[in-house]
Amino acid sequence: MLLRGLTWLVVFQLFGSALTVLLAPMLPGPIIGLVLLLGFFLLRGEVGEPLLVASSSLLRYLPLLLVPAAVGVMTYAAAIAADFWAVVGALVLSLALSLAFAGWLMQQLIERQARRREKA
Amino acid sequence: MILDGHAAWQALIHHPLFGVGITLVAYQLALSAYEKTRWVFLQPVLLSMLLVIAVLLACGLTYVEYRKSAEVLTILLGPATVALAVPLFLNLRRIRLLLWPIMLTLLVGGVVATGLGVLLAWWFGAEPQMLMSMAPKSVTSPIAMLVADQIGGIAALAAVFVLITGVLGAILGPPLLSLVGARHHAAQGLALGLTAHAVGTAQALEVSEECGAFAALGMSLMGVATAVFLPLVVSFMV
Repeated sequence: MLLRGLTWLVVFQLFGSALTVLLAPMLPGPIIGLVLLLGFFLLRGEVGEPLLVASSSLLRYLPLLLVPAAVGVMTYAAAIAADFWAVVGALVLSLALSLAFAGWLMQQLIERQARRREKA
Repeated sequence: MILDGHAAWQALIHHPLFGVGITLVAYQLALSAYEKTRWVFLQPVLLSMLLVIAVLLACGLTYVEYRKSAEVLTILLGPATVALAVPLFLNLRRIRLLLWPIMLTLLVGGVVATGLGVLLAWWFGAEPQMLMSMAPKSVTSPIAMLVADQIGGIAALAAVFVLITGVLGAILGPPLLSLVGARHHAAQGLALGLTAHAVGTAQALEVSEECGAFAALGMSLMGVATAVFLPLVVSFMV
């Protein structure tokens, strides 16, 4: 089951990568693969057991897969240290403000839509 | 017989699986520390990253060598991204119901996330090249690196900003979201995915499947929008 699901995921990513080169070189292959797989689910109308198993197993370890890339920070320690406060200040403040704002906005819009549906 | 400790040590740290090994050990240590304390600053990605860096420095290994030996893990990121189609599809009905709120939040939130970062860094006196590497900080690193390169930033530096942003999002996200009253899992997920890409999405998957689906949606839409519009906007402004 797991193996069959993983095979599907890899095949879709490979198709995605090929399509990217042909049509949209600024987008990464896996994102196109995601869209293709979503389209495939829409056509079939359901998610098969193998893909369900494979995706939940892979996604459970998503943070682990991100660690090697995160370690790359060590190579730019000097460049960041030179502009430390500008970089860290801008990153922390903009992330905190935009994340809080996006969450707040979405919550307001959801509530407003719910109120409208009640009235209608 | 003389035991050659030095040779054994070299064989250990230069083994092609050494990178995978230390990452797996560091991640499980980080995970159990996080589960025991539930302290937000012990975010598993952050803690494992620090542990791995400490080991590399102690052994005198370069990042290039580590990255090569941990490639097995990194390469699985592709299929994992494709796998996000599953929670997306399973929550498609909820997403359709909230189509307009999603689009509006994406548009306004995406502009705020990108614009505010550049504006603040400029205000704090960062170099232009630094600014252009910072602009795509809220999107997943493959897109961010390409876009930074297109608009005159440094791709590798952009990847670093993307990661710092993601880890910050996972740490600060949950308390901030409850502070502003974003209780709905769709609102939490979308905000996490929109501003903190894959690391935010990983955090959202911990909350619920619905939260993870909206995070995956936010991440992919923000990625596509940034790839298409950011280079255009920059070319108009410069």
